[in-house]
Amino acid sequence: MLLALSIFLVLSVGCTKQEAQVDNGKYNVVVTTTILGDTVREIGGELINLEILMGPGVDPHLYKASAGDVKKMTKADMIIYNGLHLEGKMGDVFENMKNQGKLIFAATDGVDESKLLDFDANPGHYDPHLWFDISLWKEVAVRINEGLKELAEEHSEEFDKNLEGFLEKLTELDEYIRNRIEELPEDKRVLVTAHDAFKYFGKAYGFEVRGLQGISTEAEASTADVRELADFIVEKEIKAIFVESSVPKKNIEALQEAVRAKGFNVEIGGELYSDSTGGPGTEAESYIGTFKSNIDTIVDALK
Amino acid sequence: MSAELEIQLIAIMVAIACSLPGVFLVLRRMAMMSDAITHTILLGIVIAFFITNDLSSPFLIVGAALMGVITVFLIELLNSTKLVSEDSAIGVVFPLLFSLAIIIISKYAGSVHLDTDSVLLGEIGYAPFNRLYIAGRDFGPKSLYSMGIVLLLNLIFIILFFKELKLVTFDPALAAILGFTPTLIHYGLMTMVSVTAVAAFESVGSILVIAFMIGPPISAYLLTDDLKKMIILSGLIGSINGILGYQLAAYLDVSIAGSMALMTGLVFLLIFIFAPKRGLLTVLRRRRIQKEDFAEKSLLFHLLNHEGEADELKESGIGTIAEHLNWKKDYLDKIINRLEENGIIYIEDDTIKLTEKGRIYTIESYEEIMYET
Repeated sequence: MLLALSIFLVLSVGCTKQEAQVDNGKYNVVVTTTILGDTVREIGGELINLEILMGPGVDPHLYKASAGDVKKMTKADMIIYNGLHLEGKMGDVFENMKNQGKLIFAATDGVDESKLLDFDANPGHYDPHLWFDISLWKEVAVRINEGLKELAEEHSEEFDKNLEGFLEKLTELDEYIRNRIEELPEDKRVLVTAHDAFKYFGKAYGFEVRGLQGISTEAEASTADVRELADFIVEKEIKAIFVESSVPKKNIEALQEAVRAKGFNVEIGGELYSDSTGGPGTEAESYIGTFKSNIDTIVDALK
Repeated sequence: MSAELEIQLIAIMVAIACSLPGVFLVLRRMAMMSDAITHTILLGIVIAFFITNDLSSPFLIVGAALMGVITVFLIELLNSTKLVSEDSAIGVVFPLLFSLAIIIISKYAGSVHLDTDSVLLGEIGYAPFNRLYIAGRDFGPKSLYSMGIVLLLNLIFIILFFKELKLVTFDPALAAILGFTPTLIHYGLMTMVSVTAVAAFESVGSILVIAFMIGPPISAYLLTDDLKKMIILSGLIGSINGILGYQLAAYLDVSIAGSMALMTGLVFLLIFIFAPKRGLLTVLRRRRIQKEDFAEKSLLFHLLNHEGEADELKESGIGTIAEHLNWKKDYLDKIINRLEENGIIYIEDDTIKLTEKGRIYTIESYEEIMYET
């Protein structure tokens, strides 16, 4: 019986044989989120094979690896993750993997801690959603560039050139955002969303930000949270609140109902991308496109 | 060794380690106890963590095992009052202890790297990345060792106490008379379930532990009556579930633990339907044969009863018999045809009659029913 088992095992291993470490001579770089993925693509370009673990619309707090993801991770020459507990338990897995001769780093570890926002709930932990502050994301891009150069020294010049181009695009994006926000009077700059993913955005662009759920989408909003936020919306006469691509709509709809019960009408201003970019083929496929789409949605709805 | 192979090896170890106590749980009709224990050990882990402040401390296993035993003790205590049944006692004790653990975790979520999600559906896919290093050398995944040790402990326990376990499982009263203490063996078994669950908890999560603990033993139970064979078959079925589950996960690119649990269910279903002696098909076929046999005999007794009587043509006539027996025509025709082919009856003047052979067979069957049972 043991013999039969071992034959079976050998056969099944045969079916799942790995491909070579390096496909077509390029390095395999695995990233966790689509936002990181797009940034790595901007800098690494065609010089690397890029694999993204969490597809568009996947909530990174609740992500579970599939069998294929495990294979991608074992094949990877370099893994870049967001860090700051965005990936939850996977962060521990990456910490462990660092001992295995793979190049692994958290993209956010290049950012100065003093610029990070604290969580109220958990002192000592930082808010991981820093991609909505362009000045911080530039630092992340620089860190990614360093990592890629460590992996493929021979392409250093190209990486540097790509980084420069990307940073320029980010500066343009920043201008675009500031121009659009100018269209809003200052007292209208209030953003109410499903979970606390926009704190960095609020700080960078002078928005007051309120999230229905906490930083992690795992914690459910309590009825007290809903009531409090509804009072806030009525008091400030906020025109629109927003749903997020990776969080179910029902909570925001419940908030809308709660506001309506108080005799005020708040609209759902549209869907914001919070933890991932839009799907392939949409204009929000890239980091820049995602940010533009968000800012357009916000400004158009609050105007 | 590749990650794929390592995952399948870990799955096999978990499957065998879980099936060993699982066999006895199933035989003692305590499957739900595994569900309770695999959840309540979380409280033991959390409490031990707050005492030691070290997530890799061996005291976590001690704490978890203790909590498993406490769970069993509380359930038995509640059950012994005779005010609540055992399953209701489980239904009260397990959520109570488990939710206590959840509340403690969520209260101190920041400092404890334990989340309920990974407890319930731990990720076996990550196991190959958590490796054992001694003096810089790679000795393979840690869970391969932790599961290996637990597997060995379970094996030793079962080999040493095989006779006792067998007796306590099948005849607890006799075991008590012979001087074995069923309670001791009982708690030994429950400690085994707890320790296995803790070891498997980080690598596969408690749902997969339950799947591996219960699924393969009940599948094996449908295939054999022999305890030793059942233990070996359970380990084998569990291993196959693990390997097939991994292959399914790789093929569909989905969660590995999820596919393994799914495969456990599917394999059980297949065995449930097709098992040679106790399978659904066999049981249905046996029932059909018994039913037809009964129908044949009823018909024959009816014929014998009215043989040579004045109303024979009416009672046993080919056109009227269906009414007298109150059977469906199609079904009756089928039975008549078969009896005719076997030379038990023949049809003459529109009347069904017994052949000589048929009369002897009928009388024999009648006597068999009347005198031998």
